[in-house]
Amino acid sequence: MSTDTLRRESQRRREYHDRYGDTGPSSGRSHGNGPNRVRKRKKQFSLLSIGKGLDVPFCMLIVLLLAIGITMMFSASYPVAFYEIGDSYYYLKRQLLFAIVGLAIMLAVSYVDYHYFHRFSVLILGISYFALILVLLIPSETGIHRWIGIGDYGIQASEISKFAIILFLAHWGSRYYDKMHTFKYGVLPGATIFASTAFLLLLEPHYSCIVIVAMLTVLMLFISGIKIKWIAVAAVVLAIVVLILWATGLLSYAMDRMDGWGKALEYVDEEQWQQTWQTRNSLYAIGSGGLFGLGLGQSRQKYLYLPEPQNDFVFAIVCEELGLIGAVAILLIFALLVWRGIVISLRAKDRFGKLLGIGLTSQIGIQVILNILVITDWLPNTGISLPFFSYGGSSLLMLLFQMGIVLSISRSANIEKV
Amino acid sequence: MGANQRLRQRTVWLLIIVLVFGFGAVISRLAYLQLINGEDLQQKAVEQQLSDTTVSAKRGTIYDRNGKVLAQSASVWQVVLSPANFKEEYQREYVASELAEILSLEYEDVLEKTKQNSYYTVVKRKIESEEREKILELMNKVEEKYDLSSVIALLDDYKRYYPYSELASSVIGFTGSDDQGLYGVEFEYDEYLTGTPGRLITATTANGTVMPFDYSQNVEAIDGNSVVLTIDETIQSIIEKYMQQAIVDNDVYNRGVCIAMDVNTGEILGMATVDGYDLNDPFTISKEERKKINAIDRDYLFENGYLTEDSNATGKEVDELIKQAKSEAESAALSKMWRNKAISDTYYPGSVFKMITLSMALEESTISQKSKFNCSGYFQLYDKKIGCHNTAGHGTQNYVEALCNSCNPAFIQIGQSVGEEKFWDYYQSFGFSEKTGIDLPGESDDLFFTEDGSMGPVDLAVASFGQNFSITPIQMITAASAIANGGKLVQPHVVKQILGVDGSVVKNISTDTKRQVISKEVAREMCGILEENATNGSGKNGYVAGYRVAGKTGTSEKLTDSNGDFVDDYIASFCGFAPADNPEIAMLVFFDTPLGGNYYGSAVAAPVFANIMSEVLPYLELEAQYTEDEAANVDTIAGTYTGLSVSEATKNVNADGFDVTIKGEGTTVVAQVPAAGSSIPTGGTVVLYTDDDSVTQKVTVPNLIGYSLYDVNYLASYYGINVSLTGAVNSSDSTSYSQSIPEGTEVSPGTVVTVAFNTSGIND
Repeated sequence: MSTDTLRRESQRRREYHDRYGDTGPSSGRSHGNGPNRVRKRKKQFSLLSIGKGLDVPFCMLIVLLLAIGITMMFSASYPVAFYEIGDSYYYLKRQLLFAIVGLAIMLAVSYVDYHYFHRFSVLILGISYFALILVLLIPSETGIHRWIGIGDYGIQASEISKFAIILFLAHWGSRYYDKMHTFKYGVLPGATIFASTAFLLLLEPHYSCIVIVAMLTVLMLFISGIKIKWIAVAAVVLAIVVLILWATGLLSYAMDRMDGWGKALEYVDEEQWQQTWQTRNSLYAIGSGGLFGLGLGQSRQKYLYLPEPQNDFVFAIVCEELGLIGAVAILLIFALLVWRGIVISLRAKDRFGKLLGIGLTSQIGIQVILNILVITDWLPNTGISLPFFSYGGSSLLMLLFQMGIVLSISRSANIEKV
Repeated sequence: MGANQRLRQRTVWLLIIVLVFGFGAVISRLAYLQLINGEDLQQKAVEQQLSDTTVSAKRGTIYDRNGKVLAQSASVWQVVLSPANFKEEYQREYVASELAEILSLEYEDVLEKTKQNSYYTVVKRKIESEEREKILELMNKVEEKYDLSSVIALLDDYKRYYPYSELASSVIGFTGSDDQGLYGVEFEYDEYLTGTPGRLITATTANGTVMPFDYSQNVEAIDGNSVVLTIDETIQSIIEKYMQQAIVDNDVYNRGVCIAMDVNTGEILGMATVDGYDLNDPFTISKEERKKINAIDRDYLFENGYLTEDSNATGKEVDELIKQAKSEAESAALSKMWRNKAISDTYYPGSVFKMITLSMALEESTISQKSKFNCSGYFQLYDKKIGCHNTAGHGTQNYVEALCNSCNPAFIQIGQSVGEEKFWDYYQSFGFSEKTGIDLPGESDDLFFTEDGSMGPVDLAVASFGQNFSITPIQMITAASAIANGGKLVQPHVVKQILGVDGSVVKNISTDTKRQVISKEVAREMCGILEENATNGSGKNGYVAGYRVAGKTGTSEKLTDSNGDFVDDYIASFCGFAPADNPEIAMLVFFDTPLGGNYYGSAVAAPVFANIMSEVLPYLELEAQYTEDEAANVDTIAGTYTGLSVSEATKNVNADGFDVTIKGEGTTVVAQVPAAGSSIPTGGTVVLYTDDDSVTQKVTVPNLIGYSLYDVNYLASYYGINVSLTGAVNSSDSTSYSQSIPEGTEVSPGTVVTVAFNTSGIND
């Protein structure tokens, strides 16, 4: 986006603010149309329509990331698919199918007025709890309860939870925007939801998701306008807990338990060496890429050295094949997506849209950061997928569904349509 | 601040946190891993991706000087595992148990290997085609059963074969399980023989299958160079044949040594430590040694300090100690068996050293032909009486007589004339104070009285006749060669040439002359004196009919008792060379602790020297010059007389110089004894058979030991056999001491029995 556009936008933002002020929560569609935005009804359903049209840059970024993501996922997965399943295209075919369905859902959702989700926010939160409890009741061979399966397909309960928390906190924050500075309205509901969700996730167990949920909760409460001191209090509490753990030696014990986190390249014992196998080979892959990479399709680590390269560790293969340059380019696209999503959200004509959009978009940024910190051995290997890249039907559908909501926000947002 | 404004402001903070700090951290982490740490990580990745297989290089051949193969590598196989490709525990167990059975290995050891996290681990090397077939079968089975195609592999390997098994074992040495030289030439010239192993590098998936990339890199193995020894297989065989016989005849307790050396070049033509060992099976000790080890019991533990009387070990501990003692005894027996006595053992040279002492005195002119040396059977030095082997005394002698008598008192006087200082100088210049530098591992140093050569009068006295200081056999023969070749000390060596794979010469090992030790004239005079000694003196048992042989006997006391008979051990040796007028080959024969009754060098070593030389000298195509007496006893080759008429055959036999005896009634000769081509003494009898019945007639070999030359000839003609005479046949006081076919054996008339003679009465 050029500086010119930026300047125009900031000017526009000021005009918009002057015109509407703090409009507060709104549930009607009628608020959406500014005087300049009146268009023929026919155009409302045009993809490129101005006003009711969705935000094309954001949409393009999604399609671009999805295209790159699927390509790289395919490149990373075909040896595994060939050697383990006997069909090099196994993962590609499925992911493509989900991508197409997902894009369709995304477009469909983009036509849905996001204000409908106001009504469903409590219901969806309820579904989230239901799913989190249900998943614990489903017998699991590995002792890890994360998936709710329907035939061959399944969804991670936590995928619903993340969305439910963003949605509910956006709903709450927009409804009680004027009371968010109080503890009762501002902190208590979010803290309660987080604590209960975290507790259930702890039982699964799904630690990485607790981290994400915690970050999303703090993020939502932060932008909803709670007092900073509560965040500071939370930080201090966290620091004290860590300090106590450290002082009692429990921290190193916990870190040892985390699959040899941070020690993937050190040989301590055979068990730990096996546990850090995936992370170590991820580091080998990343390191092998160098500045320019080995070339698309040229990864060697994907030849069964890096287990499940199509899942959480797909970006390691990206780094190996495309090098630092390719990795940074992809990260820039992600950054652009986040930035554009937040720009859209800020232009939303009501508080609910703003909070919801920022929450959903930030979630992508958070997941990208956490995922790469995992594959580079800065965080324990606990299952954080990379949006648009990692293989997984339900999470892709969920992701594109959420992007559809952001696009829906963009349709009514006061933003220059291309 | 309005709610929306706060939201916008906080969102900006959020953006900064996520995009600047979050993405910033991520990108810097990636940059660190990819740019700064990249090479290191890539290296590690490549290490696991590339399967690096070693391709064995073929070890070079070892030839004798005439190109006969003494050691050669032949193709075999090695079994390797790629354990990381196993998927399940039961697959490992199955493969481990099958491999253990086929390859006769311990199941636990193989199982351990199947659990390694690697793509290449050697299970067993050098398997033969029979085992290979079974492995191939197993590979098929594993593939069918578990769909594992790349867990077991067979790679080329080489095995070392020694066509002559025991021949020159202490010189050639052998290789270990990794084809590395362990002893002898195999060890010394390992870097030439080994070659460079090749490598086959391929990029593989974690499953071990080849990656669809062109990363394959093949470094060809470079085969090792070949080594040509100076050893002559024929000479070596002759040496070992007689040495082995002598070991048995004289009941030699601590093995014997024989070294044959080209006096001019330092080339070792033969070097034997007898008994040797089978190079194809170097880890098997002799049956006697095995019996001794098996007999190790509780008493042995007390005798050898494993247990003391006051220790109260439990039965289990005693068993453990017995086990330990057995394994220690076994490795001791092995290293003793492998030891090249010719260069690794030191001994008192004894009277052989008198040739060195005399050389010093002549070179320094401290004695002259007029010098007289008196021997009254001992020499009084201060309060010490040093005896002569002839207790009656040799009377007054000149130095030639002194040497021929091997008279100790005379040599004490000769040594005294030289003096301590000069003695040490010559000791050094003859090369006794340093290693000869022979190209074999394990050469020992000498052990002189003191490091700096200073010695007392008694030391000098006994040193004059070779007692109380130790040298190696190789030092002795090198010094003797210096006398033989006109005074030059040459470096002995066993390798002549290094050849490349294509047969081209990589390296020639030339003669290395270290220094002139004595003048040509003195050397020539010494040759004459030693020839006189070998012909008529104390060394005459070493005489070889038809050749001018020079030599000196030696009998030295070891002052140790290795066999536990409470008598000091003796070493019987003979060192000489031939032809005396223009020496070409020097030879040292040496027996450590002969227990067969006689331990004198003249009786034990000299006849062996003579026997070996009598075959080696003709082999070297040195022309024989017989004396008149000898001419009568010289062997002649029998012709082919079969198929001829009786009269014609008789004429031919007579023309060849033999008498004839005809057996049978026929008119045509159908068989003859001795066979055509065998050697018979001139004047011997050839028996011609004219019909088949007569062939079955037999005569009995009589006892031929303990008789004079005349008596042996008489007995032979009486019993209708031929005798071939060796040893001191020119001496009137000779008696026979061995016969090649034992008494009482039924043989065809005319069969040749070799009878060896020696003279008694030389106690040296």
